[in-house]
Order: sequence, then structure tokens, then C-alpha cells
Amino acid sequence: MNLPTSASTETLSGSIACVGMGITLGSHLTPISRNCIETADIVFAALSDHVVELWLERLNPNVVSLQPYYKPGKSRMKTYREWVEVMMAEVRAGKKVCAVFYGHPGIFAWSPHKVIEVAQAEGYQAYMEPGISAEACLYADLNIDPGRVGCQSIEASQLLFFERQLDPVGYVILWQLGVVGDRSLGRFRTPDAYRELLTERLLQDYPADHEVIVYRAPTLPVEGPHIQRVALRDFPLAEYTGHETLVIPPAQALKPNVVMRARLDALDAIHGSGVEPSITA
Amino acid sequence: MRDTVELLEQIGRDASLRRASPEVLSSALEDANASEGLRVLVAHHDSTVLAQELGLVERFGEHMTQTGAHEDDTLLN
Repeated sequence: MNLPTSASTETLSGSIACVGMGITLGSHLTPISRNCIETADIVFAALSDHVVELWLERLNPNVVSLQPYYKPGKSRMKTYREWVEVMMAEVRAGKKVCAVFYGHPGIFAWSPHKVIEVAQAEGYQAYMEPGISAEACLYADLNIDPGRVGCQSIEASQLLFFERQLDPVGYVILWQLGVVGDRSLGRFRTPDAYRELLTERLLQDYPADHEVIVYRAPTLPVEGPHIQRVALRDFPLAEYTGHETLVIPPAQALKPNVVMRARLDALDAIHGSGVEPSITA
Repeated sequence: MRDTVELLEQIGRDASLRRASPEVLSSALEDANASEGLRVLVAHHDSTVLAQELGLVERFGEHMTQTGAHEDDTLLN
């Protein structure tokens, strides 16, 4: 009988868990993510609110903020690669590492996916725990069910850099409005003219008076969600802090697929329709 | 004076306060001996005093780019 060698099943002592802090302080941190934070040797933090970072330091005193790696004019991709390297250095040193990101660690975040990929390839235990994302807050605060007519969720810049088809029958959510159109990846904000260009692109698919929603989830529990409803043409004039998301409600009704419905009729004729037979008196 | 971060965590997990009206929340902050910064934030939506009290610095929150932009065009491959 061939038994696997110890070398092939051995897990190296370092590990990394990427967890989400949620959005609202005190409300969203899951029990498993909290435990990952509290029991880690070292915690790396990529959070959007300094107060939340202060809270994190209460949960584990050995917190290293990843914020200082950002620099004006420095490509964010360089920053994200540096984050992976600094986290992996601790994993390779045999530490139990926890990387904490605001919201969900796997949504609109490059380095958590990358560091897990690198760590696993090198034989370390690496995994992700989900968190409550800004998108999850948005569905709750705006009373939207993304399953009703579907929902496209895209980084706003993709609409300017690439040819994308929007589906006006469903919801469209555009993220990272604060840096829309920034090709340098080195700016923390782009001027209003970039959001005006985005509006020009959106007007190819939507009427100018279509109501859109500029949304921001609260990071502090003493605040409510920030919701601005404006006509699409006025979207660049909305108030921005850099953390807003654009929600475009459906502009068209669902259109029946006549051809496929006829095909379904044919299948139902063979396999039954699934409808309970009516009982006649 | 009550520790601000600790008080915020308590409010965050208290369903009766998390969605409370500004009046109810202001009253609760008064009872809890909250800092002036927290009270000003709730009463006037102004975080300036709170930022001074806690030494807050603006945090940048973009954690990815899906575009590649000038860096590369990974999405095209």
C-alpha cells in the first residue's frame, strides 16, 4: 500500500485569513471574522474609515495599517502588490496573519484574492471569510432585490475604458465614482468633468430625466445612509465625498420571449406543465 | 467622559439605537456622557470636532482597479 509522504501533506506553519469588517462599526462584523482578528499574531488593515481602524486596534493591538502605502501619483496597482508582499512576508515567517478589509474582502479588492492565491501556491493555509458589503447595505437601504430583474455591478471606469453593454431592464450599479476615468491609478479623486463624461456615456442607454440614486452606506452607527435621487443629467452635480455609488433603476419593462415560450409549450406538451389539475365538481 | 470607540460599538450592536431618531440618539448620548464630538456629529452631521478628538485622518478606500488602465490590460487577455 502506498501512503502519501509526510512532505506532500505537510502544511507550513504560517497562515492567512482575509476577512471583512463589514461597513457599519459594531453592526456588521461576523463572529468568525472577529475571532480571526482576535486570535491573529498580526493584523493588516485596509479600511475606509479611521474610526473603524481605531476599533480594530481594540480587538487586536498588533494592527498594521496598509494606508501608508498609498501615495499621490503612485499607481494603486503597485500599492496592492506591495500589500501582498508585506502580508506574505509575515506568513512566510510562520505567523498567523489576518488581513482585514472594509465590507466584503473579496469584492472590489485585488490583494485579498492575490495573497490567498500566492499563499496557497506556496503551501500555506489561506482562506477568505465573507463580510457585509456596501452592495449588501445598498439592497437593504434602497429596498432593492437584485434577483427581481437582475443587476449589473461594474466599476464605473470600465464604461469609459471598454465597450460594455448595459441592460436597462435590470438595475445597474456603478462603483468607484470618485476615481472614475483615472487611467494613471495614481489619483485619489478625478475632477467633475470625468463624471460628466460618464453621464454622456450613460445617456446612450437612458433618458436624461431618468431618476438615478447616488448612495453611500454609513460607516458609523450614529449615521444613516446617504441617499440622493437626481435626474441622470444632473448626476455630476450630486454631492460627493469619494465613497459614493451610482444606482440606475430599470428604464425598460421585461419583454416576453415569444420564441422560447412557444418552445416551452412544446416541452410541456410532452413532459407535463407541472400545474396541478383542476378538480371539477 | 465615555470612551467614544467603545460607545460607537455598543450603539452599532443595539437595535434600539442603531435606527433611532436623532432626538432619541442625542438623548442616549447625553445619558452615556458621550464626547462633544459625537454629540455634534449626531446633532449637526458635522464630524470636525470628532476628528479633532480622535485625531482622525482621511482614509482612501479604493482596493482594486478592474480596468488595468495604463498598468496593463489583464482583462483583455
